Amino acid sequence: MVQVVIQQEPIDITRVTADAGTDSDGAVVVFIGRARNNSNGRTVTRLEYEIYDGMAHKELRKAAEDASARWSLNSCIVVHRYGPVAIGEASIIIATSAPHRDNAFEAAQYIIDTVKEKVPIWKKEYYSDGSSWIHETE
Amino acid sequence: MKIKIKAFASVREACGFDEKELTVSDGITVKEVVLLLEKSHGSLSDLLESLLYAINEDYCHDDATLSSGDTLAIFPPVSGG
Repeated sequence: MVQVVIQQEPIDITRVTADAGTDSDGAVVVFIGRARNNSNGRTVTRLEYEIYDGMAHKELRKAAEDASARWSLNSCIVVHRYGPVAIGEASIIIATSAPHRDNAFEAAQYIIDTVKEKVPIWKKEYYSDGSSWIHETE
Repeated sequence: MKIKIKAFASVREACGFDEKELTVSDGITVKEVVLLLEKSHGSLSDLLESLLYAINEDYCHDDATLSSGDTLAIFPPVSGG
C-alpha cells in the first residue's frame, strides 16, 4: 500500500502513524520533518512551501513506489504540506512498514533524501526582517 | 509554435510570472528559451548556474528540444522536506 498526499492542512500525525503497518510487519518507521525556529543563525518566524503541483505528486509517488519495491515494504505513507507552515508543525511525515526494521529505516531515509533532491517543492523562510528561498539541501 | 512556461520559487520572482505562453521557433532548445527570458528578466542571470528544467513534468537537460504545446518548467534546486 502506497499513499502519497500533498496538502495545505496540518498533518494528523496520530492518524498516519495508526494507518501505517500491517499484521505481517514487525517494524514501522516514522520520520517527521518539522519547521524549526532557526536557520544559519537567524530566527525563523514561519515557513512557506511552494509546489509544482502535478510534478511534485508524480515525483513523490515515484520515490514512495521505488522505495516500496526496493525494500519490500508492506505500507508506505508520505504526506507533505504546502503553503504556510508554523514553527513546530510537521512539514512532512513518512511512515514505512516492513517485516524487519532495517528495511523500514532504509526506505524512510531514501524517501526523505529523494524529496530533498528531486521533488519540486521549495521552502521559503521568513525572518523578523525579511525572507529567503532555501536552495540547498540541509 | 506556442509553448507554455512555468516558473517557480526564486525563478518565479525573478521573472515576475508563474505561467506564460511564448511563441518560439520550431526546434528551440531549453537553453535558447532561457536566454530569451534572460533578456527581458535580467535578474534571472544570478540563478542560471543552478536552474533545473522539466518538460511536461519530466526532468530534462538544457539541450532538450521543445515541441508545440509543450510545458517547460524552470526552477531552482528543490528544498522540500
